[in-house]
Amino acid sequence: MIRFEKVTKRYAGPGKPALDQVTLDIDKGEFVYLVGTSGSGKSTALRLVLRELRPTTGRVHVAGKEINRMAGWKVPRLRRQIGTVFQDFRLLPNKTVAENVAFAQQVIGKSQREINKVVPETLELVGLKDKGDRMPDELSGGEQQRVAIARAFVNRPMILIADEPTGNLDPQTSVGIMNLLGDINETGTTVVMATHDNGIVDQFTKRVIELEHGKVIRDEASGSYGFQH
Amino acid sequence: MQLRYVFTELRTGLRRNLSMHLAVILTLFVSLSLAGVGILIQRQADLAADQLGDELKILVNLCIDDDPSNNPNCAGGEVTAEQQKRIQEEIDGNDEAESSRFVSKEEGFENARDSGQIPESAVSGPNPVITVDSWPAGYWVTLKNPEEADGIISALEGLDGVSVIKDEREALSQIFGIMKVLKYGSWIGSGFLLLAAMLQVTNTIRLAALARRREIGIMRLVGASTLYIALPFLLEALVTAIVGVGLASGALAAFQYWGIEKGLSEHVQFLRPWVDWSDYGASLYGWFPPGILLLGLALTLIPTLLLTRKYVKV
Ligand SMILES: Nc1ncnc2c1ncn2[C@@H]1O[C@H](COP(=O)(O)OP(=O)(O)OP(=O)(O)O)[C@@H](O)[C@H]1O
Ligand SMILES: [Mg+2]
Repeated sequence: MIRFEKVTKRYAGPGKPALDQVTLDIDKGEFVYLVGTSGSGKSTALRLVLRELRPTTGRVHVAGKEINRMAGWKVPRLRRQIGTVFQDFRLLPNKTVAENVAFAQQVIGKSQREINKVVPETLELVGLKDKGDRMPDELSGGEQQRVAIARAFVNRPMILIADEPTGNLDPQTSVGIMNLLGDINETGTTVVMATHDNGIVDQFTKRVIELEHGKVIRDEASGSYGFQH
Repeated sequence: MQLRYVFTELRTGLRRNLSMHLAVILTLFVSLSLAGVGILIQRQADLAADQLGDELKILVNLCIDDDPSNNPNCAGGEVTAEQQKRIQEEIDGNDEAESSRFVSKEEGFENARDSGQIPESAVSGPNPVITVDSWPAGYWVTLKNPEEADGIISALEGLDGVSVIKDEREALSQIFGIMKVLKYGSWIGSGFLLLAAMLQVTNTIRLAALARRREIGIMRLVGASTLYIALPFLLEALVTAIVGVGLASGALAAFQYWGIEKGLSEHVQFLRPWVDWSDYGASLYGWFPPGILLLGLALTLIPTLLLTRKYVKV
């Protein structure tokens, strides 16, 4: 589903590359943690998958396509197959919960009929059945992140990318979010989650890929966060 | 494509930047009106040149029977074929003449009637004051250089059969000079204002993109097409362009109706015919010089396209 072949990403300016000859392969339906210290290149790797960035050298394949060579006008189509969740939720403050979720469908041209059907389903899935009419600032952080996940999942993407989705949440709320991501993964969606949260990684055991200075230093099928060297 | 979002955005966008949009519209309105007036003046100058000859021409009238000029050249009455041949030879052989065109009595008479130089009352009725016979034939002589005509004028003045040489270069060059100043003046003024309008459009888009950057970020992430993201911006620009063009075409129509039809054309006879509604149409839809529709659309849509490419790029 996602394959990196000797991917190096160098940002403008001098200094070491953010990713250095990274090769990895993530299958359909997997749940993968991307861990590593701050600045190790986790967000860079995720942005390469979204084609927000292009690799300096190497190749990135997503859903069978080599996306680093993809024409710009095809990028929106690629992104429709990928849902994205961030640490800071990124909800639209002047829209209700349901409108926030519906927005992701409207702007890619889904019909109102489909929206009316799928948005309530998705809100129910994330446990916000009765809160569709609330404004984002009337929700707790955990609930806001659920809205963001609903928005990322409403188009039923093949891949869900989460960049520190529990970074702003307390441990208990984080567990709820992890259960939700687990449910989404159960539906066959590939989940890639960058995180600093050792408690979560140790509690919900999944495949762990650890980066350090832009290099893969560990890739374990069911790893823990604090691998002792 | 579901356009509800686009139109909601268009509405909020227009309202959010109302004062900016009004500024763009007013600037467009004034600059396009000026550009349109410039086009009308240019067309008026062309019409006048067709009718009166331009500043490169002099008119040589030939004698008629009982010539009103009392010129001794006309002592023999109506110009003879012999005399006319001599005159033609003089014109053809003269260094200052570029070319010449013979205007028969009939053609001259018709032209004069069409342009209103002869009042209709003078040619109608049982005993018309002016007839084709009493109208002189002549030559339009085109000069090589508008400043140099003394040689040919003095040579022709001495020839039998030449009654009057109408040298309207001075008067005409003044009129054409004034029209040129007005035309270029309105185009230059319009050019500066159009530049201002373009800068305002750029600013409006910058602000709108800033106000909508969260939405735009999400649209890009969930895979909205670039066109879809850019559409509200383009429609905003289109609306301001259409309103600006609409106001300007109204102003031009008012100018054409009250300024020209009910104004100048009734009082200033010698420049007839005046520009009419087909010229007004050309000032609206023309390609070259571009009419105000083309100008207005180009000046708002092109900067919008360029800028949205920058802000909305996937
Ligand atoms: N837009 C950018 N321009 C220049 N350098 C960048 C840019 N984004 C990231 N970097 C650099 O690339 C390296 C990797 O950054 P990245 O954001 O991928 O790390 P990260 O693992 O996500 O860190 P964190 O855990 O703090 O989010 C860092 O050294 C960072 O300074
Ligand atoms: Mg990061």
